Amino acid sequence: MKKFSRLLALLCIAALASAAAATARPSSPSGSSAASALNCKSTLKIAFLTPLTGDAGFLGTEQMSWAKYAVKTLQGKYGLKIQLLGGDTQLDASLASSLAQKYVADPKVVAILGPSTSGAVAATSQTLYAAGLAHISPSATRTSLTKGTNREATPGFFRVVPDDSVQGPTDARFMAKNLKAKKVVLIDAQEPYSVGLADATQATLKSLGVTTIRESVNVSQSDFSSIVTKVPSDTDIVFAPFQQPPKAQTLAQQLIEQGKKAKVFGGDGTNDSDKFKVPGSYVSNFAGPIDSIPYDKAIIAGWKKDNPGATLGSFGPPAYGAAQVAMAAISKACAAGHGKLASRKAVIKQVKSVQIKNWILGGSFRFSSKTNDPFNGRFTIFQIQSDGKYKVVA
Amino acid sequence: MDDFIQYTINALTLGSVYALIALGYSLVYGILKLLNFAHGDVFMVGAYIGFGMLNLLGGATSPVVPVWLLLTIMVATAMAGCAVIGVAIERFAYRPLRDAPRIAPLISALGVSFFLTYSMQLLFGAEQRDYNAFSLDNGVLFLKGFDIGNVRVPLLRIVIISSAFVLMIALWLLVNRTRTGKAMRATSFDREAAAMMGIDIDRVIRFAFVLGSALAGAAGVMFALRAPASVTIGFVAGLKGFTAAVIGGIGSIPGAMVGGLMLGFAESFTQGYVSTRWSDLAVFTILILFMLFRPQGLFGRADIRKV
Amino acid sequence: MTDAELPTPNVPDSLTEPAGPAVGQDEWVARHAERRLLRGGRLGAVEERLRAAPWWAWLTVFVCLAALLPVGFSSGYVRRVAFDTVLYMLLALGLNVVVGWGGLLDLGYIAFYGLGAYCYALLSSNQFDVHLPTVATLPIVVVVGAVAGWLIGLPSWRLSGDYLAIVTLFFFQIFIVVVTNGDHLFGHNVTGGSNGIGGVDANVRPFNLFGHDLPVAHSGSFNVAYLYVVLAFFAVVFVLLRFVNESRIGRAWRSLREDPLAAELMGMPVNWLKLLAFSFGAAVAALSGTIFAALNAGVFPTTFAFPLLITVYTMVILGGSGSQAGVIVGAIVVNVLLELLRDAGNARYVFYALIVLALFGVYRLSVRLAVVLGGTIALGFVVHGIASAIAKSNVDGPANGENWLIDGLRHWVIVPRDLGPWKQITYVALIGVILLLTLVRGWWRVALLVPTLYLAAFVWENVMLTAPEATRFIILGAILVSVMIARPSGILGERRVEIV
Repeated sequence: MKKFSRLLALLCIAALASAAAATARPSSPSGSSAASALNCKSTLKIAFLTPLTGDAGFLGTEQMSWAKYAVKTLQGKYGLKIQLLGGDTQLDASLASSLAQKYVADPKVVAILGPSTSGAVAATSQTLYAAGLAHISPSATRTSLTKGTNREATPGFFRVVPDDSVQGPTDARFMAKNLKAKKVVLIDAQEPYSVGLADATQATLKSLGVTTIRESVNVSQSDFSSIVTKVPSDTDIVFAPFQQPPKAQTLAQQLIEQGKKAKVFGGDGTNDSDKFKVPGSYVSNFAGPIDSIPYDKAIIAGWKKDNPGATLGSFGPPAYGAAQVAMAAISKACAAGHGKLASRKAVIKQVKSVQIKNWILGGSFRFSSKTNDPFNGRFTIFQIQSDGKYKVVA
Repeated sequence: MDDFIQYTINALTLGSVYALIALGYSLVYGILKLLNFAHGDVFMVGAYIGFGMLNLLGGATSPVVPVWLLLTIMVATAMAGCAVIGVAIERFAYRPLRDAPRIAPLISALGVSFFLTYSMQLLFGAEQRDYNAFSLDNGVLFLKGFDIGNVRVPLLRIVIISSAFVLMIALWLLVNRTRTGKAMRATSFDREAAAMMGIDIDRVIRFAFVLGSALAGAAGVMFALRAPASVTIGFVAGLKGFTAAVIGGIGSIPGAMVGGLMLGFAESFTQGYVSTRWSDLAVFTILILFMLFRPQGLFGRADIRKV
Repeated sequence: MTDAELPTPNVPDSLTEPAGPAVGQDEWVARHAERRLLRGGRLGAVEERLRAAPWWAWLTVFVCLAALLPVGFSSGYVRRVAFDTVLYMLLALGLNVVVGWGGLLDLGYIAFYGLGAYCYALLSSNQFDVHLPTVATLPIVVVVGAVAGWLIGLPSWRLSGDYLAIVTLFFFQIFIVVVTNGDHLFGHNVTGGSNGIGGVDANVRPFNLFGHDLPVAHSGSFNVAYLYVVLAFFAVVFVLLRFVNESRIGRAWRSLREDPLAAELMGMPVNWLKLLAFSFGAAVAALSGTIFAALNAGVFPTTFAFPLLITVYTMVILGGSGSQAGVIVGAIVVNVLLELLRDAGNARYVFYALIVLALFGVYRLSVRLAVVLGGTIALGFVVHGIASAIAKSNVDGPANGENWLIDGLRHWVIVPRDLGPWKQITYVALIGVILLLTLVRGWWRVALLVPTLYLAAFVWENVMLTAPEATRFIILGAILVSVMIARPSGILGERRVEIV
């Protein structure tokens, strides 16, 4: 009897829970055929698809904090009331597509930030575009998403940072021409970001006649002693497109410790003047250090106040930018619809034409006319000075 | 030749950390016949305790105490903190299941491991933390040392290897030359007989957890001094520590030491001479081969089941 | 022997007492003793009827209810969650075979899931340009899964218990390494490496049944046909496994699980039985993998990771390993819980509802319950009042959502604007107090419960809701530990009786 009453009780709870879930999300016809247009004065929702736990949890939590800050400070400026939802993809593309379903079914969600990882974009872009949702990513840099013959993403996908096909060759050319490197070791961390970037860089280096050696370590490995020993002593550069600055720092320190002359060259993932500051190393980033941009100082101060103890990384500010682009597009769509949003597709139409002065990453922002990438995306290369400061060298 | 020496030093450093973790597994398994999955996460907590202590004492760039004292305090607090956590885990997650079928404490251990990892993420975030030990005293730990041939052995590695050895020898003395150690050995041989001889089993088990977790905490600090730590390092370290324990013979203390060093060598040399990409695979395959063909490891006793 | 002389069974009547093996009890009596506690009257008669209903009746009712779900909920999201739940039920059924029926702790189970998904992807994508129709791929993948299970089960001949668990865990790790680096296997790109197989260049085709491609989505929304497909698979697998369990193999598994040595001495082919258990479990997992790959039109290595393994284990353990109905209930409860916990608003409901239900469950309707509830609420208002008198910034109230619960909570729970080190301190303090609670009894426990509940509400609002992604896993871990200690047989499992 106890077993049965327990079972019945559980069934009741399950029924209640599903009733709660159903009432929490009003069921409505999916897609863009919403019967009533959305009033722009009501609270609209933007959902952020990013890994908040797991091996890439640091990436998602940093981006989320910046997106939250952007929504909090900018929604008034665009005349909107926005609620930001966080969808933890856990670096799992299937979870991402299930989350995409969730946001597709919620008629108040008018735009998506992210997905942050290229794999998740490939898995969800069709679903999101078919439902009319614009998705603006601050960090998915796989080239084949928007370029090439077999594009993995749809016209609903936008990104606010340049992709690997810009960063890789830029870095490679700098190494070959400015640094006159003859031998370069490239280390990737067996995940899509570093593999893609290392591939792009290696290809250009080879075409410029530089000897390249490719190593690959597990993403959870942070002690590089043996790889450092393997680096030949005549290597000029070790290219380490890691996503975490402490790894690059450790790599550089271990190179010094073992008496190798090679310098570390990090990608935009290692850009963090607090954590990666071994003098003589190089870092490439899609923007200058934003704490030297005058109008960013207030933004950074405000963000730091909201996030005590957090340090300024390089993955976060683009999320602020992506949120800003999303809000700008929504407000333009609202203006075009005279205070009403007829459908989500109205937002997609406006994204491409968004232009932002005083872009958080420096300069002004607009999209390229050919692809949904930033116009004239270029990478800046820094050298770390002896006092740990980043100095622009290219 | 230089490379070979360097790989050997890498192996010894890595291996010492693995050996310390393996000792914790061995101690607990010897008495309880339980694989403490949460042990790797205790290691991770140790690294974070060390980090907290470092910050409390001024951080790597401006510590308020001399470097040697700083390191000692970090290791000591990590050992103490982890010992407390180990005892708590034993008392609340394993003791109620002491007479349950073997599967029960294993699953409970899985749950504790998961709980610890994500609690730490909740409290301290998911990003990697760096002790930044390089800045300590202008890098003296990394740049000064003594030379073997053309290879310089930095001070920090010597410190790590020697303190690990000191701890292991201390443990060996504790287990073989004291009464409590004797009680531990008796309990691991036959728990019921030991209880009938008047040994307080609860105290002995608690002692084993204290020792094992303290060693894991020390290992955590030593690891984090050289490489950045995040909440997920516990899982991999636990796997490798367990591999070391099995290779050496689970339940045997010199076995755990040897196993740890062997694992360090296997990993270091595979990464160096074979391939960095497949070094993990090599390590796991070694373990599986050992478990299939010599489950008692190098120093262990073949377990005879009494019916 | 009259009714009065039959031995009273050792059935714990409170969740707080550990339900360990009932030593010395007759097994039949212990298992069926609950009959003696039936209520009389009409309710008892209803229960008898329900109890007497055959298992296939319950299955039919369940499948019909599940099939009618899309009628009630037209939201693509709810349907997708239903699909995920049924997929998890399939996985749990498979794990139940290995852990529940075979008694073997298989920590590499998700590797078979991944194997099935990758095999399907390799057979229906541009990776090797093989495009078999689904009716051909499914049997192939199931057979591959079964063979893999057989091979991985081979170590069980020499190892048992913990060692077997570790060996399977290591096979799992090997699988992950091979799949992540599969684009450099002897120079060939087999598994697509860390990018997986998916996207346009190696598009994994969705199910192709009888010449028709089953589209994955309609204008972005989940295609409900997949829910029906997975329900059909689920029903078939359930019935098949049920028949296997009721056959000689099932009985042999039971004897193997209870006492392997005795089983061997009685002439059971213990080794082959273990391999069979592994194979069946792996085959079911591989089948689930194919559906998964088809729906997602791609496979990625990061999906098959340790957290997924723990999730499926929690479902099986919570539901009751060894009972098919149990693991289904477990799967539903855990998956719905995890989905509800994604969103802070829903999570709040879940938390308070669970607390109240648990209190009712432990204390029934009694003075103690009134004391605990009343005391906690009163304490809350008092502390809140004091805190807001000290500093207004202490009590800004929860930030998200507006509904009756939030309004009520606004004056009860403290939500400081600046948490500082209190985040860590209160969390650790809460864990300490909860552990202390398990040590005390009686009125001391009631007294301690009041501040504990308030502290728990504080920690929930301020700490755990700010990072729901970590909270979900913390709760899974806590469920595993508490279920094993308080009620190892789970919700619907059978209590194990140890014969001395």
